Amino acid sequence: MALGAMRQKKAFTPVKLQITSMMDMFTIILIFLLFSFSDQPEITGMEKGMELPDSISEMNHMDTLKVILSKETLSIGDKVIAKVKNGEIVGLNPIDLKSSEVFKELEACLKNNPPEAEKYNDARPILFLCDRKMSFKTVNQVTKTAAMAGFPNFQFAVLNK
Amino acid sequence: MSGLMRRKTRQGADEDLDMVPIMNMFLVIVPFLLMSASFIHIKAINASVPIMGELSKSEITEKKMVKVTVIAEIMPDGILLSLNSDALGPQDMKKWTEKITPDDKQEYEYSSLKDYLRKLKTEYPASDTLIIIPAGDVVYDTIIKIMDVARQSEDKINLFPNVVISGKVT
Repeated sequence: MALGAMRQKKAFTPVKLQITSMMDMFTIILIFLLFSFSDQPEITGMEKGMELPDSISEMNHMDTLKVILSKETLSIGDKVIAKVKNGEIVGLNPIDLKSSEVFKELEACLKNNPPEAEKYNDARPILFLCDRKMSFKTVNQVTKTAAMAGFPNFQFAVLNK
Repeated sequence: MSGLMRRKTRQGADEDLDMVPIMNMFLVIVPFLLMSASFIHIKAINASVPIMGELSKSEITEKKMVKVTVIAEIMPDGILLSLNSDALGPQDMKKWTEKITPDDKQEYEYSSLKDYLRKLKTEYPASDTLIIIPAGDVVYDTIIKIMDVARQSEDKINLFPNVVISGKVT
């Protein structure tokens, strides 16, 4: 019995890690991640529950000033400018858009970062992220104010179908 | 001869590919790709709002060179389509005035809109601008759908890629 155990000990070979299956797994993950690789600038500041409209557009967005209009807030860049209540932007008078905080903020953005003529053909566009259920009345107030502040061109952010 | 064969077989069985360096490389690449992966594909549609500018009048005689601007008024009871052009007379423009009414489910008939725009593009190929005038209660999603229809046909032909969004001037 003891002789048998000794013989077994002698036959012992070092255990090799079987990494073939792990390699397979990593290869699959690598391929999946390579397909979802994106060199596009990340969009931050989108509110939870905000839904962008679907579109067939294949055009990439520019890394430019963002205006985010959700059901609850209106933000420029990462800064919340105004609250939205029942589809109305608080503090934005449709008759006097120039007196609003939105106009002042956009004008300041234009002054601080004047558009680079070579990068943008005519005027710098605004990347506009808006909830799909928002009414045109509210959207129009924002786009009109932006145009008055010197941003007549927009890029409407959409989800690729 | 048989001894040589046995030796060869034994040598072949011992050969194992060392995959540890490859695994190390994978472990470096995977976190990097995870950081730059994007699972939501956000794209963009170009649009603009009307701004005041100088009128330019040009004498165009050839129909192929005539540029017309399509005006689509989106109202709850349908889409009213009309034309605007310096080169066309009022009678020619009136011919193209059309209203697309919603279907039984109260949804706009985008296929009729696409047919209209395709017909217009064939007639005036130089045209590329569409002005959308939505009513106040039209939702943003509907505007995007109409922009999609207006920009490209199924056969990837550019219809009216320049979209201008405007509020109704009263």
